[in-house]
Amino acid sequence: MQLTPRKIKLAAGNDTLAIEWSDGHVSSYPYRYLRDKCPCASCTGAEVPTGAVASPFPMFGNKPLKPERAELVGRYALQIFWNDNHSTGIYSFEYLRECCPCGECAVRRPVEDSAPGAA
Amino acid sequence: MKISPQDVLNALKAVEDPDLHRDIVSLGFVKDLEVGDGRVSFTIQLTTPACPVKDQLAAAARQAVAALGVADVQVRMTSQVMTPMREKNPLIPQVKNTVAVASGKGGVGKSTVAANLAVALMRTGAKVGLMDTDVYGPSVPMLMGGSTAPHVVEGKIEPPVEYGIKIISMAYFLPKNEAVIWRGPMLHKTIQQFLGEVRWGELDYLLMDMPPGTGDIQLSLSQTIPLTGAVIVSTPQDLALTVASKAIAMFQKLNVPILGIVENMSYYLCPQCGHREDIFGHGGARDAANKLGFPFLGEIPLDVNVRIQSDSGKPVALDDTTPHGKAFQDIAGALAAQISVVNYQVGPEITIE
Repeated sequence: MQLTPRKIKLAAGNDTLAIEWSDGHVSSYPYRYLRDKCPCASCTGAEVPTGAVASPFPMFGNKPLKPERAELVGRYALQIFWNDNHSTGIYSFEYLRECCPCGECAVRRPVEDSAPGAA
Repeated sequence: MKISPQDVLNALKAVEDPDLHRDIVSLGFVKDLEVGDGRVSFTIQLTTPACPVKDQLAAAARQAVAALGVADVQVRMTSQVMTPMREKNPLIPQVKNTVAVASGKGGVGKSTVAANLAVALMRTGAKVGLMDTDVYGPSVPMLMGGSTAPHVVEGKIEPPVEYGIKIISMAYFLPKNEAVIWRGPMLHKTIQQFLGEVRWGELDYLLMDMPPGTGDIQLSLSQTIPLTGAVIVSTPQDLALTVASKAIAMFQKLNVPILGIVENMSYYLCPQCGHREDIFGHGGARDAANKLGFPFLGEIPLDVNVRIQSDSGKPVALDDTTPHGKAFQDIAGALAAQISVVNYQVGPEITIE
């Protein structure tokens, strides 16, 4: 069996989502980072028409990004419902663990094109 | 010598469940212990009525207590099927275990194995349902005989019951010679309706006959409910096993436990001369299971009676005095044992705050 979360905290403070894993490791994901990592088709480049496109001008009263709720998908993934109505991303546990932003996990990852959380 | 209930429990701690590798006392199997003058009685509550070592456990427990010098030992055997500790299933809350019967390649006998395992589990006293998720090529209603159709009661589908097994299949909703010609999203909707809009009621095991492959239906099912596990059916030939390993890879990716591998069409025994012909090779599925580290649940030889009875809607597992009926009974027992093992292994609950 693969690693699975034991506890998922949507609001772990400082705009982060925290996961405590079955091996004891704790991952802490900034909301923005997690949203940038959304694995859904439209976020990963497929041309999917979306109903409400987020305003490109953040100064026009955009609410701060946060997950409103989350649901388990089968035995293997987490679906996050963001407060801007985006919810198509299914984050598999394997993927979440792979993109854990902590220093210890980051050194094990191959170098990425853009630094995580740079936006 | 006076014997205390604690003495009896200590003695019973020597009796171990061979599948769970723990003693029956710490597993909580021992119930209703009564200790009287020269007599002891208790109940052993197993995790499945299909337990393959039921008699063995009863004998071992009786012997362990008799060794204390108790003349009259009464052992009652009951069972209470467990449900995985972690997952709650809002769609089908009264179904304790959901098991996908899958393969890579088509034509290896998934539906026949699923139908017969359902019958074999039912015959041990378990409450069983059989869901035909093969929307394009539904075959369960034919295998299970009967001609009752599902009907709607209070907004939910009441599934037909054949041989005590609740069944749902796309075949019930289609005129005989029509085909389902759908794209993925329709399949997804159907799977959700088969789960949430069918009155399954309380079930110990809901077996799901899967279509071949690793596509829409497999993914929908694995996303819609937390499956207890999957059984892989394969013929012994390399071609089938190679494709079966794709199905295994898919379930591993989706974190669905592999409960074991069944070898179908294992060999052919000529009824005329008794000569055995290994048509598809033999033992390939066992070797693959050993290599991959999954339980091998058993083998079913190729036999014309299996085909005749399947086509006429009388699964061979209805009669376990026949070699094939016995084979399915043994496989069902091994499967039920693996389900119990998985249910004990499943880790702590995932909480979302």
